[in-house]
Amino acid sequence: MNDTLQEWLATGAIASGMLGCGMRLPDATCLSYSFNELCPREGLDQILHQLAETTATLAGQGLAPRRLTWTFEQGQIFLFPRPDGALLVLATQPNTEAAENVDALAEEFFSLNASH
Amino acid sequence: MNAPAKQYQLLFVDDDGDFLAMIQDFFASLGEKIWQIHCVTSADQALELLKVRKIDLVVSDVNMPMLDGIQFLHILNRSHPDLKKAVITANATEEKRSACLAEGAELFIEKPRSPEGLRSIFIMLEELITWTPREGFQGVLRRVGLQDVIQMECLGRNSSILEIHNQQLRGRVYIEDGRIIHAQAGDRVGENAFYELLSLPSGEFQLHPFELPPKRSIDGQWEFLLMESARVRDETIAAQASANGPASAPGPAPADKSSALAADLAAQVEETLICSGQGEPLYAWQCPNTSARITLLQNVAQQAASLSQLIPLGNFDRLEIQLADSRAVAQVKTDRMVFVRVSSGSEKTARQSNE
Repeated sequence: MNDTLQEWLATGAIASGMLGCGMRLPDATCLSYSFNELCPREGLDQILHQLAETTATLAGQGLAPRRLTWTFEQGQIFLFPRPDGALLVLATQPNTEAAENVDALAEEFFSLNASH
Repeated sequence: MNAPAKQYQLLFVDDDGDFLAMIQDFFASLGEKIWQIHCVTSADQALELLKVRKIDLVVSDVNMPMLDGIQFLHILNRSHPDLKKAVITANATEEKRSACLAEGAELFIEKPRSPEGLRSIFIMLEELITWTPREGFQGVLRRVGLQDVIQMECLGRNSSILEIHNQQLRGRVYIEDGRIIHAQAGDRVGENAFYELLSLPSGEFQLHPFELPPKRSIDGQWEFLLMESARVRDETIAAQASANGPASAPGPAPADKSSALAADLAAQVEETLICSGQGEPLYAWQCPNTSARITLLQNVAQQAASLSQLIPLGNFDRLEIQLADSRAVAQVKTDRMVFVRVSSGSEKTARQSNE
């Protein structure tokens, strides 16, 4: 895993209300961080693989997503797929700093180099 | 000369003869000539009596041999659906209460142990027997409940007026042949009013027979209006939380900006699909491939269930799909699945509005 991405994910995503975050690179390797026991790392890795398939299914129906937002009663799961195949997943609690920062994080994610 | 007052016919059903005798004496004196009291000691006797005499209110015990009170209520519901029913029991439990109310009992009362208790029961029964049901029905508004009522009316292509109110606001939604044609809430009309009503955190509603509204202020598809109302409500709750902090008082949300945006969006729906929870299409509009979309919705349902197991975030509400030049929303519930896609023009408007 690219050191820049690893460092960015470990530090950049920490905010009040962030349950966990993860990234899946084009070669299918995953890195994830849990900031809350409700959101274990293994779960995030599984979510990344699962949502990678969902993204492909949507693209097959002419719905290639730039962002997916799964809204639940007590939180949201965001997925941002990049054109190179890299994915960012963020799990946040509603109405928190983390939820408000999602767009800014996504912008940074799209500008990062994931080629390593 | 005054017309004689209506005499109400009350039927008490209880296997306890002593209790019936006490009721007979006490209520006959309290009810004077207004109440005519009939007493029987079993449900089958009650059913026989109901064949030959018009009864206004049946008051039944629960624990009776042969046919208990709950079964008796069940039979009455089918044979005499308009008959008012109350239950009185010496052994009141929450299970019995729920079962009796579910079988149509309007009152569930514990047997009294004092003359004061009997007097209280007399007052309750008098209130019930003189109560005239209003046309339409009444309910308590919860977040999902109100949307469900509107959806039920629209899917059933019904015509009705939904009156919604709480302490801060009162308004009406007019539904004609399954289309939402007008809404008013306070000074607002149209979609602004509709979204404001659907944003109410709590309140009550009544469904009234349809009358023509003073004007027709809504022309959008009801599916989209409901989806947008959910989004507007979420946005206004979030805006309130960030603007006022957690101690802010609940109340109707200032929905001007969101409502204007939603009104613009409503005009630019590109695709709508509604299907049952089992995937049977109920309504499709400009859907390029209905079966593929149904498969997609079923996939969303499976993924949502799987996500819920991986991170416990409560019930799933919806999936929003941001596309390059449009936005789609997929909502999956037990009894229905909805997919709506909005065109690029409205997305531009949305971005401009947010800026």
